[in-house]
Amino acid sequence: MTLSPDDDFAAAEFALGTLEPGERAALAARRRREPELDAAIRAWEARLSPLAEATPPIPPPADFLPAIEARIRAAAASPASNDVAALQKRLSRWRAAAVGAAGLAAALAIGFVAREATRVAQPKEFVAILQKSADSPAFVASINLAKGELSVRPVAAPPQAGRSYELWIIEPTLGAPRSLGIIDAAAVTRGPRLAAFDRAVVEDATYAVTVEPEGGSPDGKPSGPPVFVGKLVPVEP
Amino acid sequence: MSTAEETPKATEAAAANDDLALLLQRVAAGDAAAFATLYRSTQSVLYGVVARILTRGDASGEALQEAYVRIWEKAGDFDPAKGSPLGWMATIARNRALDEVRRVRPTSLEAMPQGFEPAADTVDPLAARARSERLAALIACLGALDADKREAVLLAYYRGFSREALARKFGAPTATIKTWLRRSLMQLRECLES
Repeated sequence: MTLSPDDDFAAAEFALGTLEPGERAALAARRRREPELDAAIRAWEARLSPLAEATPPIPPPADFLPAIEARIRAAAASPASNDVAALQKRLSRWRAAAVGAAGLAAALAIGFVAREATRVAQPKEFVAILQKSADSPAFVASINLAKGELSVRPVAAPPQAGRSYELWIIEPTLGAPRSLGIIDAAAVTRGPRLAAFDRAVVEDATYAVTVEPEGGSPDGKPSGPPVFVGKLVPVEP
Repeated sequence: MSTAEETPKATEAAAANDDLALLLQRVAAGDAAAFATLYRSTQSVLYGVVARILTRGDASGEALQEAYVRIWEKAGDFDPAKGSPLGWMATIARNRALDEVRRVRPTSLEAMPQGFEPAADTVDPLAARARSERLAALIACLGALDADKREAVLLAYYRGFSREALARKFGAPTATIKTWLRRSLMQLRECLES
C-alpha cells in the first residue's frame, strides 16, 4: 500500500464518520480523482459494515416506497442523451478551466476539488474548500448562485499580522485574476460579489487566496502566489 | 412499478443474505418488483441506521429515500466478495446520513447538535447475535479494545458522533479523541487481518 499513514487514517475516519465537515468534503472530492484513496475508504467501509448490518431495526414512520419509486421514474424519464450531452459540456469546460490553471496547480502541488460530475440538475448552492494541501482546508467558500452571494468561512487559516487575505476568481475567459475582496481569517466574510459574473464562469472558476498588504492588493493584481486554492462543488440541487 | 406483497416485519431483519444478493442482482437488471421486495425486507434496518445518526424524522426519511434511489442505481456494483448485501446497503444509507449531518453549511459549521447525548437505546453490538462470520470477527476485535475506546468507536459508527461530540462525551480534548480513534482503528484492522 502506497497510501501515506495519514491518508490511510483519514480514509478510516471517513468510513467511521468522524471527520469534520470541511475535512469530509475535502476527502470526498479527493477520492474522485485518487483511486487508491477511494479504495482505502471502501476497504474501511467494508471492514466496519458488519456493524451497520447489526443495527437494531426501526420501522420507518411512513411507507416511502412509492416516493422512492417516483424518484427513480423521474430520474429515468430525463432523456439520457441530454444528460450525456450536458455532462460532456460540463466536463469540457472543467478541462478548459483546469488547463488554464495548470501552472498554478503545479506550482503549489495542489489537487483541485473536482466538481461532482454526476449532477445534471442546476445546483444553486456550491462550496469550495480552499486549501494548501488536500487535507488541510483553510477557508470554506459558499456560493449561492441564485442570489449571487458569497460567504467565506475560515477553517484553519493562520492570521497574518499586518497583512490581509484576498480572494480571487480565476477563469480563462476573465483573463487576469479578478479580486473578490478581502477575507477575514477570524470571522465569516459575506458579500454579493459574484453578481457581476456569468453563472458558467462562477461554476468553472478556480478560487484562490493570496496574502496581500493590509487592506488588499494596491494595484488590483495578486502580488504573490496563491496560498490556498480550490474549485466549487455543488452541495444542493 | 408493481409493489410486492407486504413482508411481515418479523422476517425482515432475518432475511437471508443469499436472498438479498439475488434480489440485488435482479434490481441491477432493472426488476422493479425485486426492488419493492428488497425495500420491504430491509427498510427497518436501514431506517435504524439513518435515524440513530440524524435523529430528526424528516431528515431520516429523506436520507432513507436517497439511499434506496442510490441502491437502485448502484445495485450492479455490489460485490459479494467484499461484504454482505445488507452491510453494503446499510453502508450506503449510513453515508447518506453522514453526508447530511456533516454537510458544510453556508451558515454554520458549528451547527452540530450541542449536548448531544446517547439515547437510552445505544446499540450494543457485543450483545447482538452474530449474523455473519464477518460480524463475529469484528465483535471479537472490538472486544479487545479498551472499554472507553470501544464506546467511542461505536458512538461514532452508530450515532454519528463527531470528534467534538466524543470530546464532550468523554471530557477529553479533541486531539486525544483523534489519537484514540487512530489507535483503535489501526488495532481493529490488525486484529481483523490476523
